[in-house]
Amino acid sequence: MAQWQELQSLANTSLEQVHQLYSSVALPMEVRQCLADWIEDQNWRQAAEPHSSHAQMLFHSLLALLGDHLGSPGLGDEDFMLKHNLRKARRDLQAAFEECPEKFANLVANLLQEEQQILRLAQAGQQGGVAPAPSTPQQSDRQQEIQRRLADFQAALQDADRAFRHLEDAQDMFDFCYKVHYLPGENRTNDPEYIRQMQGLQAKLQKLDRSRKDVLAQMQQLLGRSETLQDFLQQELGAWRERQQSACLGAHVDTSLLQLETWFTALGEGLFQLLQLLRALGDLRHKVTYERDPLQAELPLLETRLRELLTYLLQNAFVVELQPSMPTSSKRPLVLRTASKFSVRARLLVRLHDRSRRLEAKIHIDRKPPEIRGFRKFNILTSNSKTLVAGDSPQDGLVCDFQHLTLKEQKVGGSGKGSKSPGEGPLAVTEELHLITFTLAYAYRGLELELETSTLPVIIISNNNQLSSAWASILWFNMLSTDPKNQQFFVAPPSAPWPRLAEVLSWQFESVAERGLSKEHLHMLAEKLFGSKPSPESTLAWPKFSKVSSAWQRWHLRSPAPRLLLTHSLPQDSTSGFSFWAWLDGILGLLQEHLKQLWKDGLILGFVSRKQEKKLLKGKRTGTFLIRFSESTLGGVTCTWVEHPESGSPAFRAVVPYTASELASLALPDIIHDYQLLAEENIPENPLQFLYPDRARDEAFGPYYSQRQAGSLMEKKEYLNQRLIRVSSRQANESRQADEELVAATQDLQTLQLQPSGPGPLQPMPCSPGTLQLVPGGPEPPLALQMLPRSLEMLQPVPGVQEMQQVGPGDQGTLQAEPGAVEPQLVLQLVPEGQGMLQVGPSSLGTLQVLPRSLEMLQPVPGVQGMQQVGPGDQGTLQLGPGTLEPSVALQLIPEGQGTVQVGPGSLEPLQPLLESLEALEPVTEELDMQEFLQSLSEEPEPGSGVLETLQAAELMPSTLEAGDSRLERLSPRPARECQQPWGGTAGPLLGLTRCVPQAAPHSWTTATRSCPRPTTQPCPP
Amino acid sequence: MGQGSGRQERSKKLELATSETMQAEADVQNDKEETRETKNRHEQLRLVFGMADLKNKAIGLYNIGQTCCLNSLLQVFLMNTHFTGILRRITVPPSASQKRRSVPYQMLLLLEMMQCGKQKAVSPSALAYCLSEHRVKLFVQYDAAQLLLTLWNLVKRQVTNAELIEKLSDLYTIWVQEYMVCQECSFETKRNSNMITLPLSMLDSRSHLLKTLEQCLQHFFFPEKLTGCNMCFCENCGKKTPFLQSMKLAHLPQTLILHLKRFYLTESSSIQKLCHYLPFPQGLDFNAVLTEEQCQADAGEKASWQYELFAVVAHSGSTDCGHYCAYVRSLTECKWYCFDDSEVCQVLWDDVKCTYGHSDLHWGQTAYLLVYMKKNPQ
Repeated sequence: MAQWQELQSLANTSLEQVHQLYSSVALPMEVRQCLADWIEDQNWRQAAEPHSSHAQMLFHSLLALLGDHLGSPGLGDEDFMLKHNLRKARRDLQAAFEECPEKFANLVANLLQEEQQILRLAQAGQQGGVAPAPSTPQQSDRQQEIQRRLADFQAALQDADRAFRHLEDAQDMFDFCYKVHYLPGENRTNDPEYIRQMQGLQAKLQKLDRSRKDVLAQMQQLLGRSETLQDFLQQELGAWRERQQSACLGAHVDTSLLQLETWFTALGEGLFQLLQLLRALGDLRHKVTYERDPLQAELPLLETRLRELLTYLLQNAFVVELQPSMPTSSKRPLVLRTASKFSVRARLLVRLHDRSRRLEAKIHIDRKPPEIRGFRKFNILTSNSKTLVAGDSPQDGLVCDFQHLTLKEQKVGGSGKGSKSPGEGPLAVTEELHLITFTLAYAYRGLELELETSTLPVIIISNNNQLSSAWASILWFNMLSTDPKNQQFFVAPPSAPWPRLAEVLSWQFESVAERGLSKEHLHMLAEKLFGSKPSPESTLAWPKFSKVSSAWQRWHLRSPAPRLLLTHSLPQDSTSGFSFWAWLDGILGLLQEHLKQLWKDGLILGFVSRKQEKKLLKGKRTGTFLIRFSESTLGGVTCTWVEHPESGSPAFRAVVPYTASELASLALPDIIHDYQLLAEENIPENPLQFLYPDRARDEAFGPYYSQRQAGSLMEKKEYLNQRLIRVSSRQANESRQADEELVAATQDLQTLQLQPSGPGPLQPMPCSPGTLQLVPGGPEPPLALQMLPRSLEMLQPVPGVQEMQQVGPGDQGTLQAEPGAVEPQLVLQLVPEGQGMLQVGPSSLGTLQVLPRSLEMLQPVPGVQGMQQVGPGDQGTLQLGPGTLEPSVALQLIPEGQGTVQVGPGSLEPLQPLLESLEALEPVTEELDMQEFLQSLSEEPEPGSGVLETLQAAELMPSTLEAGDSRLERLSPRPARECQQPWGGTAGPLLGLTRCVPQAAPHSWTTATRSCPRPTTQPCPP
Repeated sequence: MGQGSGRQERSKKLELATSETMQAEADVQNDKEETRETKNRHEQLRLVFGMADLKNKAIGLYNIGQTCCLNSLLQVFLMNTHFTGILRRITVPPSASQKRRSVPYQMLLLLEMMQCGKQKAVSPSALAYCLSEHRVKLFVQYDAAQLLLTLWNLVKRQVTNAELIEKLSDLYTIWVQEYMVCQECSFETKRNSNMITLPLSMLDSRSHLLKTLEQCLQHFFFPEKLTGCNMCFCENCGKKTPFLQSMKLAHLPQTLILHLKRFYLTESSSIQKLCHYLPFPQGLDFNAVLTEEQCQADAGEKASWQYELFAVVAHSGSTDCGHYCAYVRSLTECKWYCFDDSEVCQVLWDDVKCTYGHSDLHWGQTAYLLVYMKKNPQ
């Protein structure tokens, strides 16, 4: 915009300055107004030089223009006053400056300068004070500075352009005079006229020289300022890159490139304009040059400097806008799986290109592979080049979108299959960083460059189960690496300072479930990681974050197969078999799948240490509970509640953690709602009354309960509605213990004792309920499997069983224990078919092998627990430590439906007693629609000789069924009709009425179920 | 090499400045100069009577033939009020020809010209011709550090008043003590020496790039072993022995000039420019940079070693063709200005920071001379 117009649009205070300026100046404002453009376009500064003919010329031009203006028809009669004023001004000017036009030139030059000053001040004031523009409210200082500098740069560029045009004029004039007057052939050195002309020519040349130097100085200054501007843009870009990196890790930050693109384009445009100016200056030099021509010396320097600056700008302007990611796991970019599609997008922020040329971008992977032994090589499939398209609208920009790319590993030598054999290189697959690089042949206005940009390092996996640990690597790299291209990062990964790690971990929760980690959460995690004294200076080493102890690590590297862990106590130092990250990722997975809303709404306290938990609950009334994540289970959530007995200290109880598989069948709010605790002497009660700190259960969780069908028994339905609930049992003599293990042990049929067959008699079994003992029997059957359920109470909802159900088909192959290390195998399989049918077929029986030899010291109380710790990555395989525990026990239950168990015909009878118990239980439930109860399955197959061909000697004894039965009797009579019907045919009708869910402790229970279907097993009559 | 050669070079330069033999060159527009000369005389009168108020405004200097280097240095001198305070007190040479040949006098005239007019720039032609009489030619690319020494020596030599000479020396001279210790007999020689600039190597003894200005300073004062062909003759031992050469800082002046030796001679004897990033602070505390052993000064002296950046002379381009400009922080306004010949503009510290250098931009501006000013002049 022209200066005069800009000036008029200023705020009042600034306008006042303009008025003041003009009140004391010989140039009336009318003249300034009506010849505004012309005045601004002249080089008054130069004309102000003493004895300048230029000043004379300008002065007379001005008068002439004023005359023209007065005579023009544009001024109508209404402008009579204006006409008058202009005429008067013309007369005055003529009188005042006729003799000294250079004074006039000086006056105008100064006037224009003052105007600029006012303008600049006003604009600076505007930007500083009033206008942190409403459109972009939180612009940083640097952003404002960039805006200001860009405006300055463009203004300076216009100035330079104007100066250049003046120079051009001056040169043309000189050139003309030179050609006319300079006649070297004729010897006229004595001609005074000629000498005078030569002197004039010399003076013109001096002036030309001065102008050239001036323009050059202007360009130098301009370049100097644009370097700063470039530097600012670079910083902004750097900040954007950091933001993008954070966004990749899950932070919620603005990664829009729009603003940057505008700036880069503006600067690029300006610099290209400058380049053209420099070239035009070069042309001037070709027309007229002389000894010590400043253009000759300085132009090449300027041009080199400018080209370098442009190159640098363009190099930086080529960015990866969207980092590579697979559509299936868009929240975890930078992890790519071979043979699955991924997409990535690059953008050139300088939106300038030659429309007649195609800009072609190419994509490469690992252009300069690092020198790491065993570093895998990949090919990018589908086309590796793409044309940059510029949409017609300016918002579109220069973008190349690579979609549907896939990676394929290059086969090297013998190591096929994509996975490394152990010891092949120093890095695990999930620590191997690959770079995807784009190159772009750029050409614009004579500048040809090859631009290059790289993505952040990606990790290439071949199996989904590597995703979690690959993501851990991505987190670690982007959190800590200073060099975004450092592919050797994991050769010596640095430790993470806790504050940074805490932030990144919080992002994980934010991105998965829209709520980050609170201070308390982080405090608990810090304590878990660093022991009792977490400090802001604490750092965590990479292996401590992502790796299990070395024995496990070796095993892990060999096969990424899922494993079952035997330990059950809390891993304080990740020695327990799963790493800190695996644990956290398990929770993340659980949140994502089942608890998103609860977490988001803050109903899950989540990370609470036991100590803290006690502290929190101690002062609360009985029935206050909190929900927290299990520390011993991969991806488990549990409720802890407090009970205040009449005397003594308060008791804290927790239920065995629920994992994804259980929550899949029954959502946590429903579990909480229907949770029952069976006390021996009491009717079932729900101990969960108030959500910590003090919120009624139904008020807190009401909105999350699943819809109940209000049905009535009156209705003629083929089937009654069914619902699953969770029940725990409690022993009367149970001591008050809040320890999870202990609670768990009593609540489930957990204590599985496998005892060696000694020469002596059977060892006395612990008579506590819920104890299942596998006792090697007499000499003939070396092993006796005994189950001693005392009462129904023992049969409980045990998440472990459910967990087992989650073993995916893909993982079955991994269940094989290592041949050398583990000899005896106990493989139990329940293979359900179809909806809700858990069918234990004979075939699966065949896999039940108990090899007695090494069962001696198997006291797997922890082992049972371990089963419950099945995490997503570890499902199904129970791995026993190599030395002491030889037998590997693997349990698999693979039901697909909602937990309906159909037991094969052989097991019908043993189920029957159960049914009765079910009926018996019915009255207890208050709600009409609770037609389904947890079934306690108790069966006591007697070992028939044929039965135990494979299972050497399995004795499933009814232990204290009488007690249970008697208790059943006490309960209300059962409607026989309903009872009989389901059992009439196959197990089919059973479904309608009841659910037989294996609810007991995983190990013991499955063992029991296992034996049922054997056709030869003799069920005990109830 | 490194340090040792730096010192040799320095002493050579000092000599060069005084005994250089060059062809003087004077041509072009003598007539024009005469008119200006008469005009200046009037202005000078005003000045002598103390009428010229030193506004210390930022005014450009026209490039009159590859004088960007001279212009930048002049700005650094003339924006320094401590210097101009001395300059204004010089005795005016009696005759016209002496006036024409007097560098301090011509500088003063130029200063007056800059401060009295409303022009955006003035032409330093009179001074340039004066300098050309002292073998500082026009149309020749100078090294700023070298030209600075030449200029300073000329000024110091031509100021007649002894008190002023001392003041000038005080203003710019750095005092150090050089120690040479024979490694065989522990014979120690001590020598006081002074210098105008601290020529700081940008490379350490193993030719690694130094990362910050502080590192450069530390390296400069780090003792160096002279062995092999660098061994010196020890009077005590009567033979060439390895020596430990060290330097201790004794005194720092009001205006401290640091010279970043960005140009270095490669093995193939071509001159290369080091463009890498080397940040320098706005505030510099020598006590924090140097160790106790590297100083030889009393507490009062050391307490005054607090400096603030005053000016940067920046070079852009390569060794054979380049351009100088100066960033000066006006002492009266406390604002940074960029002097690019006739173009002057106010800038921010961010612009000055752009002269840190950039390993990707070989043609960009890099700081070459750093001028620090004492924070609390006594």
